Formats: sequence, structure tokens, C-alpha cells
Amino acid sequence: MSQSKITRSSINRFFNRMPLHLAVIGLMLIWLIPTIGLLVTSLRPVQSINTNGWWMVMAAPPGMESYNQYCGECHGPDGSKIETADLSDPAVIEQYPRSIQLLGMLRQEIDGQPHMGDLELPSAQEAADIAAQLKKMAGGEVTPRLTLNNYIDALVGYRGTNNYVDDCEAGAQAAGMNCNISDLLNPRGMGRAFINSLIVTIPATILPILFAAFAGYAFAWLDFKGRYWLFAILVGLQVIPLQMTLVPISRLYAQLGLNGTFWGVWLFHTGFGMPYSIYLMRNFLGTLPRDLFESAYLDGASHWTAFYKLAIPLAMPAIAALAIFQFLWVWNDLLVALVFLGGKHPVMTYQISNMVSSLGAGWHLLTAAAFLSMLLPMIVFFAFQRYFVRGMLAGAVKG
Amino acid sequence: MKKQALYLVSILIIFSMILSACSPATVEATQAPEATQAPAATQAPEPTAAPETSAAGTIDCKGAQSGDVVTMFYQWSGNEEERLNQILQPLVDACGIVVQPESSRDQALLDTRVQAGTPPDIAFFNVTQLEQYQDLLVPMTDLGANEANYPAYWREIGTINGSWLGLPVKADPKTLIWYSPVAFEAFGYEVPTTWDELEALADKMVADGNVPWSLGMESGDATGWTGSDFIQDILLVTQGPDYVMGLISGEIPYNDPGVKQAYEIYGRWASDAAYTVGGAQGTLETGFLDAIYLVFQDPFAAMMVKQSGFAGGEIAKQYPELAYGTDYDFFGVPGAQGLQGGSDWMMAFNNTPAVQALVAYLSSEAGGQSWAAAGFDVTPNSAGISAYTDEALLKKAEMLANATGFTPDLGDTIPGGFGSAEWAAIISYLSGGDLDAALTNVANVQAEALNK
Repeated sequence: MSQSKITRSSINRFFNRMPLHLAVIGLMLIWLIPTIGLLVTSLRPVQSINTNGWWMVMAAPPGMESYNQYCGECHGPDGSKIETADLSDPAVIEQYPRSIQLLGMLRQEIDGQPHMGDLELPSAQEAADIAAQLKKMAGGEVTPRLTLNNYIDALVGYRGTNNYVDDCEAGAQAAGMNCNISDLLNPRGMGRAFINSLIVTIPATILPILFAAFAGYAFAWLDFKGRYWLFAILVGLQVIPLQMTLVPISRLYAQLGLNGTFWGVWLFHTGFGMPYSIYLMRNFLGTLPRDLFESAYLDGASHWTAFYKLAIPLAMPAIAALAIFQFLWVWNDLLVALVFLGGKHPVMTYQISNMVSSLGAGWHLLTAAAFLSMLLPMIVFFAFQRYFVRGMLAGAVKG
Repeated sequence: MKKQALYLVSILIIFSMILSACSPATVEATQAPEATQAPAATQAPEPTAAPETSAAGTIDCKGAQSGDVVTMFYQWSGNEEERLNQILQPLVDACGIVVQPESSRDQALLDTRVQAGTPPDIAFFNVTQLEQYQDLLVPMTDLGANEANYPAYWREIGTINGSWLGLPVKADPKTLIWYSPVAFEAFGYEVPTTWDELEALADKMVADGNVPWSLGMESGDATGWTGSDFIQDILLVTQGPDYVMGLISGEIPYNDPGVKQAYEIYGRWASDAAYTVGGAQGTLETGFLDAIYLVFQDPFAAMMVKQSGFAGGEIAKQYPELAYGTDYDFFGVPGAQGLQGGSDWMMAFNNTPAVQALVAYLSSEAGGQSWAAAGFDVTPNSAGISAYTDEALLKKAEMLANATGFTPDLGDTIPGGFGSAEWAAIISYLSGGDLDAALTNVANVQAEALNK
């Protein structure tokens, strides 16, 4: 008896919440549609991308229907009913590759009779569909609906005439391609750029957090003169837009020989990541109970011990959140990488921006390249997402 | 406690000192392999179509040592970069110089580099940059460019205040109309030879129920450039090249009646759904690449598209089964006096032996032929004409060689946002705005840019 009550109430609750669930799911779908579109597009062959939209990917080709309507009765369903005009013979079909030739042939008379008899001529669109269908029936090559070629081309940075797989098979690959695993390290491919992005991102994430942890502890628990002023100035530094500093820092780097080196980018990202990181770390460490530290000091702990035995373990959520923020920011950064690394050590964002030619050709590669560059941030995000939410609130309660 | 704080600070200082002490040495270490990793350098010496064996003997290294680095900045990317690498390969093989390329379409990045005092050795950019950087550039005559290979009109465009600062490396004639010979044949159309014939042909197409033009011009924030190309071609027909050069120098204001007439000729087609796919809305909203496909898709939606040379490559990529000459071809805009087009210029910020070798190579016969053989548009280097392997390029190169002049694209040449103003005028005109007001706006930008 009581069991059924519980079930009923939970069913009621389920239906009561139904509108909310539907709204949430609907919103999520709306948010996801562009990404889904991008994903589907990245998996389609370039010719199909340019022909119709991604939502047409599973649509049936209209050729069969038109063929049955106009030709099927006389030529038979497989086209071989009339021996003198065997439509499954590639040699016959070759003469009518497109609607113009097909329609021209259909307009001609056979033995003084119209080719189509009483039937009306197909429209241009229908004729084009029929021509495509005839090619298929004659055993012509069918473009697949989905392909991985975009991803492969983007990974190896292929810029040849066709695509990497086909050109390698035909032995007509572009200059510099070896058609083996070493192509993954081609300087213009996303594979190589992935490594460069990692080299840039990992130190540029660790360094600012390391310094910010030191500084945050110092601002929270070390008693020194003027620390509030220093802290205010540091936090105030956040207002400096990094775009304004590009030219002066570029000049400075030129004198120091840091232009185009990883050191230059690490330093830049560390510098600009610092104010926010320090702010967040100080606020987080400041909310830890004072008694905790005081009892540690009473027990004879030095600041150093208190820092790495107490502060760091307790600040893990804040550190993880900072790491996610900083990682995503550096990973997705184009401007700094473009100015300070440029083409010397191309990172993923730089490669993506150079996938297309100056006239916009080759943008099918962009879709695949975008997904390749999203891959790692997605993994990082899903792996650390619980810290992400916690960390956002870290500085929110106590300022 | 204070002592411990000091202790902590000193650890930090030592740590940062170690970091900074390490950095120069490690920088060297990371830089060393990069020379061989630069895109151009990794490429194994591939047998390109270039006449390498004959060229190798004629490449003058100008004393450049093996391992000398040339830094480059250009706006080419994708398969364009591939072609440039092919072109430079003979030089790299012969002299051992190392090319360090950098590619961005963002001119601001080049400005940043120049302002930071670290310009690239070589930049390939538009003709406007010659004027912008004129105080910093090394004249081509000092670098040993072979001027005999360039017609006088090319050198004039690259000459600023009496010194020849830019070497034209690539021309992209835009005065072309692409069409499908098969479709023309099916309807009995003939390629027009005069502007009147073109107008008559368009009317005839409309009478047959065909749409003559595909004029789509959507291109993100550069929407309108196919329109401004078309209008400049009309100006070449109705007014001639001197008039266009007058617009560039500022002698003729952009709201001159001649320009207005060209807009009206263009507008008659571009805003009429009978003459162009989708009428004015279709013109504004169809992407310029899609506009090319509309003529060659099956069934075709239009008979002709006016587009520069790159359209051929686009058609070949999208419709691999189509053959140049029978399925797609082009003719020059009939009645145009001279050609209009985009051009890329090589400018040098430094005078080093390796830069000299590069200038000498690209301006030499071997360089011109490599350029032509790689099929990277058309080279203004007159030695290239014998080396084209691509029929369409050869046809374009011959048009260029026979042209009496080459007028650069107005928007590429007049600085200060003139191009965008021009596009805005076209968009506003096609959207039904007042033409006179739109042209006056552009004329103001033109006057401001040229200080008239």
C-alpha cells in the first residue's frame, strides 16, 4: 500500500516537472544545433558540403524516383531492358554526363517518334537527378555520404589537388608528403600544431598558477607592510588590455631575442594570467579558517610548511578551476600566438586560420580542424567540470 | 616570521634568476632545429614541374651562404602556400638558404612587426603597402632585380617617389567571364567580342528563359568585392584605363558621372531577377564561391559568372568530372581596354645576400618559369610565358602579355578604407538606396585618403 503511494507521488512529481525538463532539453538542443551541424559538415565530402546543407546528409537522392517516372517503364528498373540502348553500359552513359546532354538526346526523335512518346520531357532538375542516377546504375563511382578525409587532410595539413588518401593512392601527393606516419609531423598540419599547442599551454598554465599560489598565500597570511596596496595594484592591473602591449613587448622581445620562442609566449601568458590568478587564489586562501594556520604556527610550522602542507591541499579546488580557465584561454588564444610565435612554431589556432586560402577555398577543412582543436579542451573540461563549478564560487562569497 | 618571509622571497628570486639564466641557452637550443623544420625547408627536394636542371645553372646566389635565413611574410595560405614552396624550391636547393615563412591575412600583424622594429626580410603584400612602408623599403634596383623582364607599366605601378620599391610577383587578371561552352553550344550562343554583343547576348538569354548572370557577392565583411570588380571592368569598357588611373590618383572624383553610369549598367543586371540569380537579394546574399558553382552545377542556374582566375581552380575542385575547354572556359570582358586585376608585390625590408638572391631569382628567367610552371596565377615576369602547363593560365598569361596596361584594383590601391566604402556603396545601391549619396560618400573617402 505504502509502496504504491510512493510510486504514485514520484510519477506525479515526474509529470509535474515535465515542462521544466522539456524546456531544458529543448534549450540544450538549440544550443547544440550549430555544433552538431559543424560535426556533420566536417564528416561530409567537400563536394556535398558545397551542394547542400548538413541536414540533407541522410536525404535519399531524388534520382531513383525521377528515373522510374520517366525511364523505368521502357528501360526497365535496372536500365537493361532495351538491348540497343542498355543504360547499365558505362559506354552509353558516358555520353550523357549532365542534364544538358541528356535533355538534348531526349529531344531527338527515334524512328520519327518522340523519344519520350506521350510523356513530357523531365525538367532540368529532374534530368540532372536522372543523369546522376544513370551514372550510379552504370557502376560509376558514388561519392560516400560521410568521410574522414577532412580530418585526415587537416591532421597532415594537406594542400594538394584532391585529398590526401586519394592522392597518395594515386602516387600524386603534394610536395613534402611521404604518405606514411611521418606526415603527421608536417609543419602545416594539425598534428604538429597539436604538439606545439601543448608545449605552449602546459607551462603557460602551470607557471601563473604556481606564482599565484605563492602570492595568494603571501597576501592572505603573511603580515607585511603595504600588502593591501600591493594587492589592490596587482588586481587593478587586470584592466590593462593585452592588445595595447603587443607592440612594446614585441620590441622588448626583439632586443632580448625572445620573439618567436616558446619562452616569449610563456612569459607573456604568465604575466597576463597573473592578476586574475592572484586575485582568485588570495580570496580563496583568505577564506580558510585563521585558527587552522595559527595552530599550525604554534606547533612550529614555518610559512613554507603551512603553505605546502595546509594551503595547497586545501586550495586544490581553486587551483583546478584556475587551471581550467587558464588552459582554455591559452589553448584558444590566437592573437598572442600569432604575434609572438607566428609561423615559427604554429599552434592549432594559427593553423586553423591558415587552412583556407586567401579566397576562402578549402573551408571544408576548417570544420574538421575546429573539431580537432576542440578535442583536448573538451576532455579537460569534462574531466575537471566538478572543480569548475566549485571554483567559480570560490571567490564569490568573501571578497 | 619576517625572517621566514624573507626566506621565501629569496627562494623566489633565486628561482626566477635560474629561469632567466637558463633562458638564453635554452632558446638557442629550441631554435636550432627550427631552421630545418620551417615548412619550405623540410620539403625533400621534389621533382617539381619547374625546369630545375636548366634553372640550377642560372641561379645566382649573390654570395648567400648555405644556412642563411630569409624571413617572409605573406597573406597566402592553404594551397597557395604549397605553390610558393614549389617555386622557391630550386633556389633553396641551389643556394641552401632557409626560408622562414609566416602567413597571415591580417595586415595589422605586419604593421606590428614593422613597428616593433622586427620586420620580415621580405613581405609579399598589396601595392598599397609599398607606399605605406616607403621609407623602410630597400629599392629593387639596389637588390639587383632584373628589370628587363618587366614591362614598363608594371615598374611604374611599383615606383614610389622615383624609386622602384616593389617587384610584382603575381597577377590575377579579373577581367574575365566564365561560362560553360557546352551550355552555350546547346542554346547556340556565341562568345561576344564587343560590349554591345554581350548586352545583346544577355537579352537573348533572358528571351530563351535562361538567367544570364550569377552575380552573388556575399563574402563576410568583404561583401561587395565581386561587384566592385565588375564595375571597374565596366569602367574599363566605357571610359578606359586612363580614367581608372585618374580615379586612383584622385584627379577624378568617385562621384563623377562616368562612375555613376557604370553603376547603372551594373545595377540593371544585378538587381533584376531575370538577369541574375535571385535579383538584388540574390546578388547580395549569395556567396561568391556559390555564385561560381551556380553556373557549373547540374542543372545550371545561370549562364555566366564574372570572376577572376581562381574560379577555374574552384570549378575543378568542386566538379572534378568537368573538363576545362569543353565544360568550363572563360573569355575576357568584351570591349575592355586593358586588364584589371589584383597583384601581389614583393618588398624587401633588409638588404642581405640571401634577400638579393631571392630578388634576383624571382626576377630572373628561371624564377619566372618556375612561377609559371607551379601555376600560381600569372607571373608578370615576361620570361614565364613559355612555361605554363595549365591551359587556362596560359590563356590568361597571353591576355596579360597582350594587354596594353594593367590597372590595379581600386580598392586594393587607394588606402584608408576606400575598398570598404566602395562595397558599402554597392550594397546600399542594390538595396535600393540613393546612388548619388552613396557615391558622394565614397568620393569623400577617396578625397580623404588621397589628401585632395
